[in-house]
Amino acid sequence: MPQDVLQQTYDAIVVGSGATGGWAAKRLSEAGLKVALLEAGRAVTAREFTEHIPSYQLKYRNHSPEIVRTRPIQRQCYACMEYNYEWFVNDLENPYSTPPDRPFTWQRLRVLGGRSLVWGRHSYRLSDVDFKAASRDGYDVDWPFSYPDLAPYYDVVERYVGISGAAERNEMLPDGQYLPPMKMSCGEVRLRESIQKKFGRTLTMGRVAILTQPHNGRAPCHYCGPCERGCMTFSYFSSPFTTVKDAVKTGNCTLITDAIVRHVDMNTGSNKAQGVTFVQRTTKETKQIRGKVVVMCAQALESTRILLNSSTREYPKGLANSSGLLGHYLMDHVVGGGASATFDDMKALPTANPPHRPTGIYLVRFRNTPATGKHPHFIRGYGFQGDSMPVFNFNAPGIGKDYKQAVKTGAYSITLGAFGESLASFDNFCEIDPNLRDAWGIPALRISMAHGKNEAAMMRDAGVTAAEMLEATGAKNIRVTTGVEMPGMAIHEVGTARMGNDPKKSVLNTFCQSHDVSNLLVTDGSGFVSSACQNPTLTMMAITVRACDHLVERFRRNEI
Amino acid sequence: MRIFGHEAAHSSPRPSSSALFNRRDLIRTALFAGAASVFGPEFSLAQAVSSGLTAAAKGEDGSTLLTDPNWRAAFLNDHQNETLIVLSDVIIPGTDTPGAKEALVNRYLDLLLSVQPAEFQRKFVDALAYIDAESQKQFGKDFRGLGADDQIWLLTPWAFARQPSHWTARNDTRNEAADLGQQHFELLKALIATAYYESEIGQKELGWDGEFTHGPYEGCEHPTAAHT
Repeated sequence: MPQDVLQQTYDAIVVGSGATGGWAAKRLSEAGLKVALLEAGRAVTAREFTEHIPSYQLKYRNHSPEIVRTRPIQRQCYACMEYNYEWFVNDLENPYSTPPDRPFTWQRLRVLGGRSLVWGRHSYRLSDVDFKAASRDGYDVDWPFSYPDLAPYYDVVERYVGISGAAERNEMLPDGQYLPPMKMSCGEVRLRESIQKKFGRTLTMGRVAILTQPHNGRAPCHYCGPCERGCMTFSYFSSPFTTVKDAVKTGNCTLITDAIVRHVDMNTGSNKAQGVTFVQRTTKETKQIRGKVVVMCAQALESTRILLNSSTREYPKGLANSSGLLGHYLMDHVVGGGASATFDDMKALPTANPPHRPTGIYLVRFRNTPATGKHPHFIRGYGFQGDSMPVFNFNAPGIGKDYKQAVKTGAYSITLGAFGESLASFDNFCEIDPNLRDAWGIPALRISMAHGKNEAAMMRDAGVTAAEMLEATGAKNIRVTTGVEMPGMAIHEVGTARMGNDPKKSVLNTFCQSHDVSNLLVTDGSGFVSSACQNPTLTMMAITVRACDHLVERFRRNEI
Repeated sequence: MRIFGHEAAHSSPRPSSSALFNRRDLIRTALFAGAASVFGPEFSLAQAVSSGLTAAAKGEDGSTLLTDPNWRAAFLNDHQNETLIVLSDVIIPGTDTPGAKEALVNRYLDLLLSVQPAEFQRKFVDALAYIDAESQKQFGKDFRGLGADDQIWLLTPWAFARQPSHWTARNDTRNEAADLGQQHFELLKALIATAYYESEIGQKELGWDGEFTHGPYEGCEHPTAAHT
């Protein structure tokens, strides 16, 4: 890296290059600010995508012992494969601890683009039923802004990213700016029609950040299937090939990869952040970079870790932590409830040939809504993701020719899996483990989280309602699951630096700006006040754009 | 009935936690159950800083190992290897399409076993040995030496779900020895099926024509209530 990169003072230092960091870099550099974008991992190129490599060309066909050895936690993620495991962190180099009875799986990537390379791509708006949930049911507090405050930023993000989906006019899931939706299978249409009629519930095609028509110079999906291994046509949204590319193109953004941020540097006299200290990943040299503003986009747990590691005499419990709440209110959607079944009267046969639709259906939350009223056993609610299609029956009974035929005849399957709201609780938190450091000597996290009774009741209900809906649609062989998976499995960690209007009860203000340090922002999922039940990335991106536009205004007004 | 979704066609971007497994789940469950915590006493900071490209990202074709003319087993002994070839061919024979033997299922499983924990290797070897022991008991010969009809005769009761006796249904009359045989057989069958259907021959058996695109997914085009 040329030394002069580190000699200048940037207007903004953005830490993290994933979904939110990419947006921060794009928005700020396009507004004319000089930006340094720091990424802890290496750069990524389209040449290393593997979506068109058949699994039999993998030495271990996706059962590599190297993943077992170096990624014992990461491999719990559905997207961590022999194809792409090097994108995921090496668990041996990146430890964290948990209390023995409170397991948590922290699944993450360190590479340009971060988790946007492998994310699930479902993109849903939150509504005022979510932002003002506390006012309705009395649990915890409302968000510091309302849906109309965020809606214009949802528009900006959706128009740029390209979300395929359908408008449904359901108050629990506000409609947005959509490209044409992907198509539903027969089984999915059957379920949609049946539950609309019998339960008044809405099933829609997944609203996903995958193009169904040319958009912003990117080609539509070619339906090969496994987006998490990359996409030669850039048809799903990932930051390196969109927002980060735009930011660098302005000439105002300097991208620095392999920069593992250790802490934020403070000017104690002025109570301002003045840059960050990072460790160069390969040489392990310590370096500093200066900026007028620091924008944390490293994802909730990592941004929080950096702030907790940035304590000063003035902020002994961690930077921006005069409230004592930094690290607390960790949330991750509860998953585990649902059901699966078969449509025995549907005769379509499975095939290994494409097209493989790279997404599924979404069943909109129907519990504790203004229309359905209060549920007796839990507050808040859940939505379902799932799909229905002919599948091969590899577990068919028998042997020989008949078994081969039974595999190919398969079955027409349908499955629904819930994503439920995780209630914000002070007792779910992360802190620095005094006895644990990563391979670069940076103190590591101790994460302590467990889902509670409300989440358990919700997953039980999800099993019950999924079974009811499948039965009412004529499905057979219904099997129900009502368990609660360990936190982290949804990979939707949010909430560790909550937003709010009261500096004693929150870490960030409504524009993701630290109450304590005015030129420090955290715009990833850390600021979430509640988790709602919708996939969070779209909201994180909208919040980032709102925060960055406000920051640009402050620059223009000379307030920085 | 369990159903295993074809991995490439498994359209859910996020697997639900339902009991609908794909093959990856199957083999993961079989191989890695109870894996130790990463932060056990063996934990130490890695000195080398990794982060390169996977073999797949570098474009390396790992399948050529199996077709090497000088192939030698890395884990199985000759008898076990021969038994596995014969067993896999009974479970998934060549018909109008090639079977497990042509797909070199034994070679892939040998490679996979060679890097598994000892506990799992033992489970596999025990399962093969159990089938030989039953064969000895019934016929006085090892399984690989039986005629095709006798091989099928031996395996078939293990290949279907068992039910309580028609006559004394209220009592649990299941035969423990039969159940143990079934457990061993199901492990072997699941691994053989996985190895077969993940091979190129197996993918073609499932209809794959070698192309990665065939236009967009068209979905349901039926009028209401006429879905097939």
